[in-house]
Amino acid sequence: MASKVVGGNGPIDEHSMSLLGADRFEEAARIGLGDGVDGALVLAFHSAGGLTRFASSQIHQNTWRETVSIAVMAVVDGNRIGVAAGSSLEPDAVRATLDAAKSIARVTPANPDFPGIAGPATYPDAKVWDDATAATTPAERADGVGRALDEFPANIEGAGFIETTANEVFIAGSTGLRAYATSTQAGCSVMAIAENSSGFAESVERKLSSLDVPALAERAVRKAELGRDPADIEPGAYTVILEPAATSTLLQFLAYLGFGAKAFLEGRSFMAGKIGQKIMDEKVSIMDDPIAPDALGLPFDFEGTPSSRVVLVDSGVARDVVWDRTTAKKAGRESTGHGLPPPNTMGPLPLNLRMEPGDRSLEQLVASTERGLLVTRFHYANVVSEKETVLTGMTRDGTFAIEDGKVAHGVKNLRFTQNAVEALSNVEGVGDTTETSTELFFGGSRAPAIKVRDFKFSSSTTH
Amino acid sequence: MVDDEVQALAERAIDVARSAGASYADARYLAEDSESIDVENGRVEGVSRGSDAGIGVRVLVDGAWGFAGTALLGKQEVERVANLAVEIARSSRPLLRTAVRLADEPPVEAFWETPVDEDPFTVSLDEKIDLLLKASAELQSVQGLTIAQTSMDFWRRHSFLATSEGARVEQVVVQSGAGIVALAVGDREVQQRSFPNSFRGHFACKGYEHIRSLDLTGNAARIAEEAVALHRARECPSGLTTIVLDPTQLCLQVHESVGHPLELDRVLGMEAAYAGTSFVRPDDRGKLHYGSDQITVTCDSTLPGALGSYGYDDEGVPSRREVLIENGVFRRFLSSRETAPVIGEARSNGTMRADGWGVIPLIRMPNINLEPGTSSLEEMIGTTDDGIYMTTNLSWSIDDKRTNFQFGTEIAWEIKKGKLGKMLRNPNYAGKTVDFWSSCDALGGKDEWKVYGTPNCGKGQPPQVARVAHGTSPGRFRNVQVGVRG
Repeated sequence: MASKVVGGNGPIDEHSMSLLGADRFEEAARIGLGDGVDGALVLAFHSAGGLTRFASSQIHQNTWRETVSIAVMAVVDGNRIGVAAGSSLEPDAVRATLDAAKSIARVTPANPDFPGIAGPATYPDAKVWDDATAATTPAERADGVGRALDEFPANIEGAGFIETTANEVFIAGSTGLRAYATSTQAGCSVMAIAENSSGFAESVERKLSSLDVPALAERAVRKAELGRDPADIEPGAYTVILEPAATSTLLQFLAYLGFGAKAFLEGRSFMAGKIGQKIMDEKVSIMDDPIAPDALGLPFDFEGTPSSRVVLVDSGVARDVVWDRTTAKKAGRESTGHGLPPPNTMGPLPLNLRMEPGDRSLEQLVASTERGLLVTRFHYANVVSEKETVLTGMTRDGTFAIEDGKVAHGVKNLRFTQNAVEALSNVEGVGDTTETSTELFFGGSRAPAIKVRDFKFSSSTTH
Repeated sequence: MVDDEVQALAERAIDVARSAGASYADARYLAEDSESIDVENGRVEGVSRGSDAGIGVRVLVDGAWGFAGTALLGKQEVERVANLAVEIARSSRPLLRTAVRLADEPPVEAFWETPVDEDPFTVSLDEKIDLLLKASAELQSVQGLTIAQTSMDFWRRHSFLATSEGARVEQVVVQSGAGIVALAVGDREVQQRSFPNSFRGHFACKGYEHIRSLDLTGNAARIAEEAVALHRARECPSGLTTIVLDPTQLCLQVHESVGHPLELDRVLGMEAAYAGTSFVRPDDRGKLHYGSDQITVTCDSTLPGALGSYGYDDEGVPSRREVLIENGVFRRFLSSRETAPVIGEARSNGTMRADGWGVIPLIRMPNINLEPGTSSLEEMIGTTDDGIYMTTNLSWSIDDKRTNFQFGTEIAWEIKKGKLGKMLRNPNYAGKTVDFWSSCDALGGKDEWKVYGTPNCGKGQPPQVARVAHGTSPGRFRNVQVGVRG
């Protein structure tokens, strides 16, 4: 079996994670940075949290876990790289991880693109820790579920989750680089399931106390009630109002497809060759900002580069993509602090995407629409054509007909097959508030509601 | 074999949980080694090895579940998480409508391991990297190719399950896979070809002998040429037509529109808020005509070498082969000890798996297989006047009840008067699950039946990734919508 790690600083609390602290990581890093190498990078995580899921209006899965991981990137002969990872900070285990990384590096061909290990840096201040969230008890999460279910009438069932997590991340480089951050996160998703309709709402915050669970439940229930007995609807092109969760799906896929420098340099990105050109409606501005007060990011990336705000699309004009050290070296520029953990074959990605709010309330967007559809969220979207940014996916949990400026009634779900950049070129209005949403295959992004003309639905469903 | 210390930790966890009030407890230790190698355009982009170990304790208290897991392997910590699991279960109790009742399962003491001819972790990195570099060079030898990607992945999962009922199950599962991808980047489009399959290649519960059998270098130039040629190919037409799907696409069709909808936890609404539910209901057993009489689907976790094979699931239920759909008629769900009794089944059919020590097991497909028919690819094409032959999945999407789907493949060829014709680019097709399977009028025979691993099946919260597989032969489907445009 693997070597054991026991402990942290002081006795382990019954419910919450005791922080290991930078000193404990430093002990492990001193071994991981080791000798016999030209350079090394140590990346360590410690995380603990509980996730309480409910379905059929009862808690059915209720879990907690505490994880430790440490990855060592060893550099020999200047640019031969090996990476090994383990789940223990004990000296023998870290030594074994370093040895594994070294043995890999020694047989790995040289990588002329290796940019070297980042040097020491000063990081922006990020207040992303909340003691109460880290110490949340199972009873408190269950109480949250109870408060959500209190909003449900007897004929509507609830499903969803409440999750609280606490995290530490530590990075050390043989260059003297040291980065350490703690963070907490709380999330709640509520789905309301009626006989032939459903509704949904979610929220992700730094603090559990920032979640308004009853309000999320009330919103989900309202959608399920409004959507009862959904009408059949023909596929085709519609003016749509995408609520923030649906807008986020488009943004997340664009991030994956083209807001990273690797796809950009390879010519695979829709941004390639378009910098400085207008590619979307002028009401659309998209950026990645890990350190915004309401963002969920860290003050540094996984290469130890300080995080920074990068404007990707400014008033419809393509401005930049995000960069890590490898892609920045190739392009002769600086990393923007968007590197992923090594070994990274995907290149940099914007993990804290946000679209700027506009000046219209959701009600105003609806009122300005004579005939259209209001979409709560999308489900199981995927890429049809990567460079053209054609996506397909389903609507889910609240799709409504808008008639004469009012939300008239629910409709059955539709499949969209739509070019995402084209959709953001057809924006007629942008909501004045933003929400953080998660996407099935990705992390979270913060987006407003948007009104889009000629949004293409390719087929319908029976529910 | 796991050492005495691990067994003692697992036993201690169960004792502590039982003393704290659990009516049932299990402790699952898991240590996984992994290795991954990526080469792009002749350059080694990443070589990594990982090891992860921990223990998870699952308990039932007054009919409510609780679970806690930790990577901090020590007696004090294991006692803490056992107590915490009980406390978590108690916190669930006030919001429990129906107490969990587990289907009976005779406890077993067993050891099972993947038969492996050549341990992939003892094959030198030099040899592995050399093979990937050679395959990359073959891909790059084709003019017009932009990006050549080659990769290998290996896992060795060593687990030990102990239950308060007395089960003691130790398993060592070894999985190996490799693949190559050719990308041709154009001004408007990116065209891709993969071999032997997309999603990083072809995966199996085998050792390095599986990699040696793949002939990556021998197929590299062909797929690179196809990726380049796709830019010159005609766009897949739109309309209703006959399609013939090869196993590298049909396997994912089975995955999304048979495997997932027959997971009983989805059917019972347990995954409603995230991955969704199912159009199939418990009273559909024996009644629902899921497809034509060509369609017989089995769940077989015993299939030698298949990526989803194991000896016992994570509840200690032995692996088995069962018929899910028989000549088009739906018969059986994938179940667990919790869900089987809910629909009146006496026993679980052993599909509960967790992707790590820190998460609970969920119902996961093992190997869900579309049994072979009596036709052949040659005969299906030869008897098709007008249609499209599609191969290798590129895109997939299906609704939250698993009815409305849309798939894209990497490449297709038109079928004209019984013969394969011109190459088609951007092929895709869409349909409704039951309509689609009902439109199947021919399946290839046993000699064309292939099992492909799907190493990236996602489900659950926190998200879990399962490595599953599907055996299929080529199949023909009539009146299918193709060429959906955005």
